[in-house]
Amino acid sequence: MNLLVLYLLLLKASVTSFSGLGSLPMVRNDFVVERQLLTDHELNMAVVAGRTGPGPFGLYLVCVAYEVRGIPGAFMGFLALITPAFLVIPLIRWIGKRADIPRVRSAIRGLLLASAGLLISSSVPLTMDAFTGAFSAILMAASFGILTFTRIDSAWLMLGAAGAGLAASLFH
Amino acid sequence: MNPQSSPSVKKLTEIFFRVGNTTFGGGYVTIGMLGRELVDTRRWISPEKFDLAFALARVTPGTNLIAFCAAVGALICGVAGAIGAVLALTAPSSALAVLIAYGFERWQGNRIAMAAIGGTVAAVAGMMWATIWVILKPHVGRMTIKGMIRNLQVVLITGAAFVASRFFQITPLPIILVGTLIGFLWKDAKDS
Repeated sequence: MNLLVLYLLLLKASVTSFSGLGSLPMVRNDFVVERQLLTDHELNMAVVAGRTGPGPFGLYLVCVAYEVRGIPGAFMGFLALITPAFLVIPLIRWIGKRADIPRVRSAIRGLLLASAGLLISSSVPLTMDAFTGAFSAILMAASFGILTFTRIDSAWLMLGAAGAGLAASLFH
Repeated sequence: MNPQSSPSVKKLTEIFFRVGNTTFGGGYVTIGMLGRELVDTRRWISPEKFDLAFALARVTPGTNLIAFCAAVGALICGVAGAIGAVLALTAPSSALAVLIAYGFERWQGNRIAMAAIGGTVAAVAGMMWATIWVILKPHVGRMTIKGMIRNLQVVLITGAAFVASRFFQITPLPIILVGTLIGFLWKDAKDS
């Protein structure tokens, strides 16, 4: 895939999302469904790689680009990841005061809710790919519960999940 | 306000590098650590401006945390501060993420490594659902008339986006645009 096209596809996903994993539906649509450059499993692995280290959740875009085009692709993914952030500078200067207008706030809410619906749609096949039996279902539920109801750092969660996966394989 | 030392792009970049690349747990945790450093300890930015940066980062496309860093960097040291903050936060962690992805590729045939990775894949699936809940939670209303109308908005817009994507294979962009338009036309019940 052409590096510029890769950058533009990832930029499109990044610009139309409002959270780190919010771009996932667009990425899945472009790279898994439309162009079949990645499988759901490879996309899952990219998400895991992006979440394993420190930094923002959106880092998975760099891993997706790496899976598609190696190191040059990763650089394009990095550029696509950071480009939209600079839109905040004109926002600070000119639009900041309008952020409290109810109609604007409401439009943003509509956008976030639609994003949540899309994220559910993307999470279903990725969850099915990650599901390998009762043990993986327990890990998923535990991960959801720990992140939702406790303040435990996700790094510990990832470490614990890796350890649990390892322990389960030894028992088998 | 008496800043402990005057801010510079170099010092600002150092702080974003240190905090951004040693803090696990995503955006909210990192923002909290940056607040402790920049607002409480060094007093380079007022709490009000810090909050403004947080609010605007929420409505800026892309990853909130990166937009937040650009906003705080711009408020403290102008455009150079924004660039320094964003690069310091994202470049090292991106390189590490690529190394991890490379490691995953190499370990594909290793049964023990794949068992560990399988555990983390399941955990990430759980994390995705937790992220969905984080997005939806602030929009869920109480058991009042207004609250129920808010909940109806959540169910209809989120549900319609899910159905359109999952069962009609409509691409995300038009779904997001329609969601924004519905939000614009159908005001949040909290404000009506």
